[in-house]
Amino acid sequence: MERETKTKGFRDSDAPHPVIVVGAGMAGLSVALHLAERGLAPLVLEADPHYPGGRVAGDDVVELNHRGQTWRFRGEHGVHGIWSAYHNLQAMLTRYHIRPMFVPAQEENWTYKRGGRVYVAEAGSAIRHSWVPAPLHYLALFIRPRFLGMLGLRDWLTLPRVWYSLIFALGIDPLREGQTLEGLYLSDFTKGWSPALRAIFAGLSRNFLSAGPEETPLSGFVAFLRFYTLRRRDAWAFSYMPADSGASLIEPMVGKLRELGGVLELDRSVTRLERETNGWRVHWRGNASDETHTALARHVVLATDAPNAEKILRASPDTRTAAADLYWPRAMPTATMRFWFDQPPRAGAEAGIFSGEFVIDNYFWLHRLHNPYVEWHKVTGGSAVEVHLYGRPAMLEEPDAALLTRAIADVNSAFPELRGHLLHQAIRRNDATHTLFSVGPAGRHLGITSPWPGLFCCGDWVRHPSPTFFLERACVTGIEAANAVLRAHHSPTWPLLDGPPPERFARFLEKLMLRGRRARRRRKKAAPP
Amino acid sequence: MSLSARNYWINLVKLLRRERLLRPLVVTYYVTTQCNLNCVYCEDFGARRNAQAETPLPLEDALRVLRVIRDGTDSLIVTGGEPLLYPHIVPLVTRARRELGFHQITLLTNGLLLPQHEAILPHLDRLVISLDTADPDSLSQIIDAPLSTAQEILDHTRTYARRQRQEGYQLIINCVLTPETTSSVQSVLDLCVEHRTLVSFSPQAVHNWPRYDLLVSDAYKALLAQLMALKRRGAPILGSVAYLRTLHDMVPYTCYPTLAPRVMPSGDLVYPCRPIENEGDSHGGRPCNLLEVTSWEQAIELAANAYGPPPRICTSCFQQCFAEPSLMQTRPLSLLRELIGYAPSRQGGVWTHAPG
Repeated sequence: MERETKTKGFRDSDAPHPVIVVGAGMAGLSVALHLAERGLAPLVLEADPHYPGGRVAGDDVVELNHRGQTWRFRGEHGVHGIWSAYHNLQAMLTRYHIRPMFVPAQEENWTYKRGGRVYVAEAGSAIRHSWVPAPLHYLALFIRPRFLGMLGLRDWLTLPRVWYSLIFALGIDPLREGQTLEGLYLSDFTKGWSPALRAIFAGLSRNFLSAGPEETPLSGFVAFLRFYTLRRRDAWAFSYMPADSGASLIEPMVGKLRELGGVLELDRSVTRLERETNGWRVHWRGNASDETHTALARHVVLATDAPNAEKILRASPDTRTAAADLYWPRAMPTATMRFWFDQPPRAGAEAGIFSGEFVIDNYFWLHRLHNPYVEWHKVTGGSAVEVHLYGRPAMLEEPDAALLTRAIADVNSAFPELRGHLLHQAIRRNDATHTLFSVGPAGRHLGITSPWPGLFCCGDWVRHPSPTFFLERACVTGIEAANAVLRAHHSPTWPLLDGPPPERFARFLEKLMLRGRRARRRRKKAAPP
Repeated sequence: MSLSARNYWINLVKLLRRERLLRPLVVTYYVTTQCNLNCVYCEDFGARRNAQAETPLPLEDALRVLRVIRDGTDSLIVTGGEPLLYPHIVPLVTRARRELGFHQITLLTNGLLLPQHEAILPHLDRLVISLDTADPDSLSQIIDAPLSTAQEILDHTRTYARRQRQEGYQLIINCVLTPETTSSVQSVLDLCVEHRTLVSFSPQAVHNWPRYDLLVSDAYKALLAQLMALKRRGAPILGSVAYLRTLHDMVPYTCYPTLAPRVMPSGDLVYPCRPIENEGDSHGGRPCNLLEVTSWEQAIELAANAYGPPPRICTSCFQQCFAEPSLMQTRPLSLLRELIGYAPSRQGGVWTHAPG
């Protein structure tokens, strides 16, 4: 549960490993588990000196002394759950008997601030329990009085335009078609919309892609929209992990990996790769010293975030030139802050999205989700909230105290009943590792198989036709990378599970739009130049 | 109108009010957690866990538990372990019917001990026998017992199928789909058609989710599509098309676990559902023993105070016994379609599914 002990005394070796996996996040552990189960026990190198897991890692414990008792709460990166369409991830966890009992989300609020006034609407249940079929299911929002209260005449007038844009998004599948939508950003998609409707999409974009509308590539946003909500009402069904993500997902996965013979080494920051006749030599160094170590592997799987993968390949003599010409999706820094209060907020949703004039982007009431916090709440009646800040690089450079002040001001304006009840606060800053997904040009955006023999990639930033995102994409590309290695070893591969199919009406519209686009292309071709 | 049917209508109103604590349509009482078989897929109690089995209650206490249950609903599922191993099973069911006035009683058994307990049959509305294949060799492997035991179960199934009309119960075959049995499902269907019994299907669960090998199997998907088509053509399949489609597409459904609560041998109410209770964390557990309360309402109040209202969309359970009550409660039109459109559902009454 607590910090992993560093494995010491790893020696440089020339006996080649069958596979070295660089990175022990969801993608790296997925590759490693699928290889280990087929008898190819890999060596997994993780740069973090204490915690495997990357964006799903656990963190140090925060202690809180309250009413004569010391309470211990583990930190984490900030990923709290999974979505219903994460089929491959759930299947993997089930197969290894490590699937936690996820806590189903009940409600997500949309909290909007305009002109200093705060509006709150229950949005999550309206979308997933909508009585209107996808993609029109958002209409259910419009019979919720609180949502209506937020909209003005201008919003109503731009609604047709919003629907047109959404149906346009149904007609394009950036991932399967490899559509880069180059030069287009979310701000182009929402151009001409009213401020309130733009704010909803800006909130979605910050929460999911960690960037504002001007920075979010349209290909990534459309792919996100399609996967999480546009094609099915119930795709927007979230389940929380019962504790921090390290304890709920990563540590059980690491335990299983070790059981299957895999080796995980922490504090191994891979610096470069060198091609040798029988594979790749992997160079790494630890946090505390500059001494470099190496190991030889027949195959290497790069399962790290996009900026780190770029750094490694640009530092490697055999890949340097090509890597400079490759397309690399961006990754964004984030910050998460936790606040403990001596009383609970008013009844309402356990989580929600902030938009409009708020600085923070979302919130999760941990005392309603995570077991340690639930226990604390039961005993003391206190509450705890985690808020996230995405997509504002300049603001993220401010000192901790300034960010905490901004965040607590937002929490207080959304939950005024908690003013003066703050007990404790903690902040965690995450490096620029959160993928700002986009589809890059074919041939320049790395896929599972790289241009270099024996070197594979996986992660949620990798180009692959799967419509999935984030944890599920990391898992899917991880399985695909394992399959690529297994094929080279003439071992049986792992089948992938399909996501849920679109609802009938959405499928009909999708087909109609695709047919329309094809006809338009044909007309263009036939037209004289 | 039976109490469970009345609860169905009341629940519709509760749903309109967006309440989550719905009234029970049926309650499952695990009279014992002892079992005489060791089915390879069993995640519940199986013989290999008999040493940890809970001590069953004396008859009078078990009846007190049933009295509280009867306050909530008049539909009861008696199961285990193997319920026929409960020493007072015949008087319990007899008195449940005669004294407590349960309107619908279902017994879920592996069928092996039925000849020794035939006195129970006239008091049952539905007899559910677990049978995953009609092939004795495969069955003996599944139940981890000699071929003769498998043959005995098959013989008993046929015998008690023949006695349905005479004794006044409906026999239902409960078939767990495993990668090993998907190819022999037709033999179970044939047996059901031949003996005029109903059959219900659930996927094998591993840690409460359909087994990976099933999910990645084209044969499993094809089988589900075939079952939907067969059902539409009038095959004796119990379980709604909505449920089969949920399995086929692996999509979440809105779950209301208090529609079909579970009570353990000791009388402990499981809340909000067994999978969450099994985790033993802050989100669920056994908030009260029915011997210590006087009404169902009181038990549920204790539960809700301890753990809060039950969750709604949970992507955890795809077994029919968990999914179907919620699917039918939240989709009245689907229920109507089942009852009007499909002959097997009509035979099963409001209960479009068999407990698993």
